[in-house]
Amino acid sequence: MALLEIRNLHATVDDKPILNGVDLTIDAGEVHAIMGPNGSGKSTLSYVLSGRDGYEVTDGEVIYDGKDLLEMAADERAREGVFLAFQYPVEIPGVAGLTFLKTAANALRTHRGEGELDAMDFLKFVRGKAEALDINDEMLKRAVNEGFSGGEKKRMEILQMAVLEPKLAILDETDSGLDIDALKVVSDGVNALRGPERGMLLITHYQRLLDYIVPDRVHVLAHGRIVKSGDKDLALELEAKGYGEFMEAAE
Amino acid sequence: MPDGSGHMQPFLDQALADSASVPGAKVDWLADLRGRGASIYGDRGLPGRRDEYWRYTNLNALGKNDFELANGGPAVDVPALPHRAVAELASYRIVFVNGRLRPDLCVLDDMPDGVLIAGLGDMIAAAPDRLEPVLGQGLDLHEMPLAALNTAFMRDGMVLFVDAGVDVDKPVHLVSITVPGETPLMLQPRHLVVLGDAAKATLIESHIGSDEGAYFNNLVSEISIGEGAELNHYTFQEEGPAAVHIAATALNLAAAATYDGFLLQSGGLIGRVETRAILNGSDADCRLDGIYLGTGEQVLDTTTYVEHVAAGCRSRQVYKGVLDGKARGVFQGKIHVRPDAQQTDGHQLSRALLLSPRAEIDTRPELEIYADDVKCSHGATAGELDAEALFYLMSRGIPAEAARRILIEAFVGEALSEIRLSQVAEDFSAHVRNWLSANITVNTAD
Repeated sequence: MALLEIRNLHATVDDKPILNGVDLTIDAGEVHAIMGPNGSGKSTLSYVLSGRDGYEVTDGEVIYDGKDLLEMAADERAREGVFLAFQYPVEIPGVAGLTFLKTAANALRTHRGEGELDAMDFLKFVRGKAEALDINDEMLKRAVNEGFSGGEKKRMEILQMAVLEPKLAILDETDSGLDIDALKVVSDGVNALRGPERGMLLITHYQRLLDYIVPDRVHVLAHGRIVKSGDKDLALELEAKGYGEFMEAAE
Repeated sequence: MPDGSGHMQPFLDQALADSASVPGAKVDWLADLRGRGASIYGDRGLPGRRDEYWRYTNLNALGKNDFELANGGPAVDVPALPHRAVAELASYRIVFVNGRLRPDLCVLDDMPDGVLIAGLGDMIAAAPDRLEPVLGQGLDLHEMPLAALNTAFMRDGMVLFVDAGVDVDKPVHLVSITVPGETPLMLQPRHLVVLGDAAKATLIESHIGSDEGAYFNNLVSEISIGEGAELNHYTFQEEGPAAVHIAATALNLAAAATYDGFLLQSGGLIGRVETRAILNGSDADCRLDGIYLGTGEQVLDTTTYVEHVAAGCRSRQVYKGVLDGKARGVFQGKIHVRPDAQQTDGHQLSRALLLSPRAEIDTRPELEIYADDVKCSHGATAGELDAEALFYLMSRGIPAEAARRILIEAFVGEALSEIRLSQVAEDFSAHVRNWLSANITVNTAD
């Protein structure tokens, strides 16, 4: 059984059609990349999958882990193991990052029938994961994303992913705004989370990220549909030729 | 009864009726002061829409009820105070039940030299001379018609006198409990706080109503802070759900005096707290902060007037409100800088969170500046919970209701984090959490 099966997905934003029949299947253990120009519907796809308000599905279905994903609220999807690493992580003043992480982790643990972790055990658990991402205690204690640089925010997203251990991780433009050093730290973090039980969907505009996180499959999204799929070499082809001919093919 | 000019002047007859039998009726200056209150209230009547600062808070309901002047009440269990941490705090406690001092519930033993905590009624009977120089001196009754009404009635309340240089070793906890019966009750408490030069004190006020019954608590506090003296003042307004709580505080700060005030308003059907702070001496420092939490059909009004008379004073105001259901918040704040008040540093901020489409906030910030070398600002925001932040929390598996609570707590938490006395901060936080549990459900988002 596929981990994620998207069938003929159509979605609108403010009555404007953005997704026009997306078909995509991801098996556990696979990393897929979706590439496409601005406005092709990449971010819309990530938000539809994660359950953000304001995105209306007008046709099609999404089966995740044998369940109807679109029937679930955003928080329910997360507890079932869907994780979105945001392109623009949200700053939340007044909410301590560590408290936020602990609340989220315990919501998941409760859902899975595991006991909640107390503050000390949780701190130990997080520190272990944070170290690899070059995140210190001071960063953990600050308010969620408040005053963080672009690179710090992206590292925190990966830390959240490491803590929440999703079955399906969607990474939306995780490379945007990162210099090479930061990109390397983030990619190492993502690669460390690859595993036979976990599927990943990388959404990116540029091929660069895929040098660091090598995908099993690459798909080209244009005008709200997947117009071509291939292996990692498709990304190189795109980089060389640009999106032009795919855009035309999608017209 | 409406008079010839159409003013409503309920309660006035009651005040005049027993003016001859009230304690201290034979003390001339006191009788004069009461008479002045009655006369000003008689002229002004119940404040209404024609009064600039009462436009948003309608008191017509008061004119329709017959209120009986409260005169002491039944036995109550003080340890059942909702403020656990404060209740356990070592403090001097002065307790009023239905408007009258209850010596049996007070904890006023071993007061240090130079500190007087007593009932106003007892002081009027025993030592009116000590009251004469201060009572009624700190406030402008023409600006506060209901303070004039209070003045016409005043017979009990708290007196806190701290002599120069004395640092009161424990906080003073003023507890006002109202237990209304069949007849709606009226309370007119009058509190008087005088800190001598370089004195220091912490005052905590708990206003609690134990029942669903209607009552009208019209209190007035006169607070005078001497040169270099310091008062920390924390207030819980948690009156009963059918109460009308109208509080007027007149603050006078001498040179280099510090006032740090924090108000939590969440009780009553109508709650209006007006503070008039006059910064008379240079380098005084005045903070007026607060949060209000409204739901149902509550009206919660915070009105401030900060007058910079002397040079080099600082004033800061940060008020945050959370309004749900059909609740209405009112914030009216004015900073008035007199010509001599150069180097004034005065700031004011009002932020309201509207959780329901029917909740409302009326905000009226004002700056009136007659000096040229000043730093003054005001700001006001009103809005809903940040949808992006809400989605972010939910996308991590946090249920919608918990996510909403986290964001609301963060919104008010910023204000609470500045409270110096940890027990008070703890009780304020606990109150916020309880309020959220009782009032915030996922459905209110729609």
